[in-house]
Amino acid sequence: MIKFEDVTKIYPPSTVGLERVTLHIEKGEFVFLVGASGSGKSTFIRLLIRELEPDRGRIMVGGRDLATLHRWKVPYLRRNIGCVFQDFKLLPNKTAFENIMYALVVTGNATGASKKKAAEILALVGLGDKGDRYPNEMSGGEQQRVSIARAFVNHPPLLIADEPTGNLDPDTSMGIMQLLYRINKTGTTVLMATHDREMVDRMRRRVIALDSGKVVRDQKRGGYGED
Amino acid sequence: MGKISFFLKEAFGSLTRNYFMTIAAFVTVFLSILVLGGVLVFVFTSDALLKEVEEKVEITVYLKNDPDPEPDQISAMQSEIAGWTEVKECIFVSKADALERMKEWFKDNPEVLDSLSGNPLPASFEIALADPQTVDVVAARFADNPIVDEVKYGEEIADKLFAFTNQARNFMLIFIVLLGIVAILLISNTIRLSIFARKREVEIMKLVGATNWFIRWPFLIEGVTVGLLGALAATVVVLVLNSYLVGRIRDSIAFLTVPLDAVPYLLVVLILLGVGVVIGAVGSAIGLRRFLKV
Repeated sequence: MIKFEDVTKIYPPSTVGLERVTLHIEKGEFVFLVGASGSGKSTFIRLLIRELEPDRGRIMVGGRDLATLHRWKVPYLRRNIGCVFQDFKLLPNKTAFENIMYALVVTGNATGASKKKAAEILALVGLGDKGDRYPNEMSGGEQQRVSIARAFVNHPPLLIADEPTGNLDPDTSMGIMQLLYRINKTGTTVLMATHDREMVDRMRRRVIALDSGKVVRDQKRGGYGED
Repeated sequence: MGKISFFLKEAFGSLTRNYFMTIAAFVTVFLSILVLGGVLVFVFTSDALLKEVEEKVEITVYLKNDPDPEPDQISAMQSEIAGWTEVKECIFVSKADALERMKEWFKDNPEVLDSLSGNPLPASFEIALADPQTVDVVAARFADNPIVDEVKYGEEIADKLFAFTNQARNFMLIFIVLLGIVAILLISNTIRLSIFARKREVEIMKLVGATNWFIRWPFLIEGVTVGLLGALAATVVVLVLNSYLVGRIRDSIAFLTVPLDAVPYLLVVLILLGVGVVIGAVGSAIGLRRFLKV
């Protein structure tokens, strides 16, 4: 699903984002990306959705080489990658339902069935009765659920979550994790960057640890820290 | 849900939501178009005045006096002149007519007339031209006509007048172009401000996989709507002010016949609305450009 081959990203003048990272993530995996702030987690994610381009090396997503991807095709790449962020990134002037509809309309083939689809996915994340709420009328956990629903509504093969539980209390975080876990069960590859030590230790999934832009650990069933 | 209705809903939703920015952009467009409209009306009106002054340029062709030309020579010449495409009107002033005019001019000094023996005045043609700038060409045709004594058209005054009016037109054209550029800069700046406030929104749209055009359309519709509304309001004000002012000027300067119908109103309205739409669209396209680069 994801292949990094010797990828280096330097922010001018000389800040290292990622340094010589090589790794493979298979289809259907659930992967934690851990590391302190500034270790390169965000750089990794921004490279994946081509918000950034690497200075060296090759990145393949779903069999496509991002370096040869035309600028105008980037939106189509992003439709195949669901994104969930710490700050939710919901459109503030749209209701929960409209936020999800936006992801459907964007693809250009929204139909009558789309409304049904959006309603279904809202129910799936447990917000079936809150579709007409605006983001500022919902709790953090609810907003994150909407954001996950939006990321998943097109059934992308890859879902990236950047600190999705960063702003949430432990109970709410657990709910979000279960949601991501269920999404992973449908065959979607999930990549989650996180600080949440407890969560990582409890889930016992593949852990990739970054430090100063380098991969320092890649463990099949790892914990947050060294065992 | 159709794409177009989606875009329209998006555009009008954010127009009402960000009403403060909408009003700011509206006022900017309104003022720019108001000035542009004022200048346009001024240009058309003063152009009509210039034309009127130019019309006063006439050619007077004096015929030989002694011996007088035969009447059939005169009528042949008149129909020849009338046949030229440059000529709008050709009036024959006979010797008797000329004497009548002279009597009219000097009616307070009859002694001048008394000193005349017989009628020394020559007959003449008075020629008005369709395009006054052709005066040199037309005048030159009489150079070796055997019955023509003298051609007068005030060549120096005519040349100076045309040099002045041509220059005045060029200045006004340059002024209008400059004004248009200033308006576009002003409006794209206002729209950029309004888009900057929604930078995050655009970022999110891109993350969800919206193409640039998908994001652009609602903004363009917004820009065009504001441009059109601002232009519409400005056009109404320009037309009302114009008819009021022209009325006032006409009353106070009676000798200058300011032509109220000199301004091609339909053209002015179309230009102003067109400019409003264009600056609205160009303004939002320019304003949006940098945020779409993510």
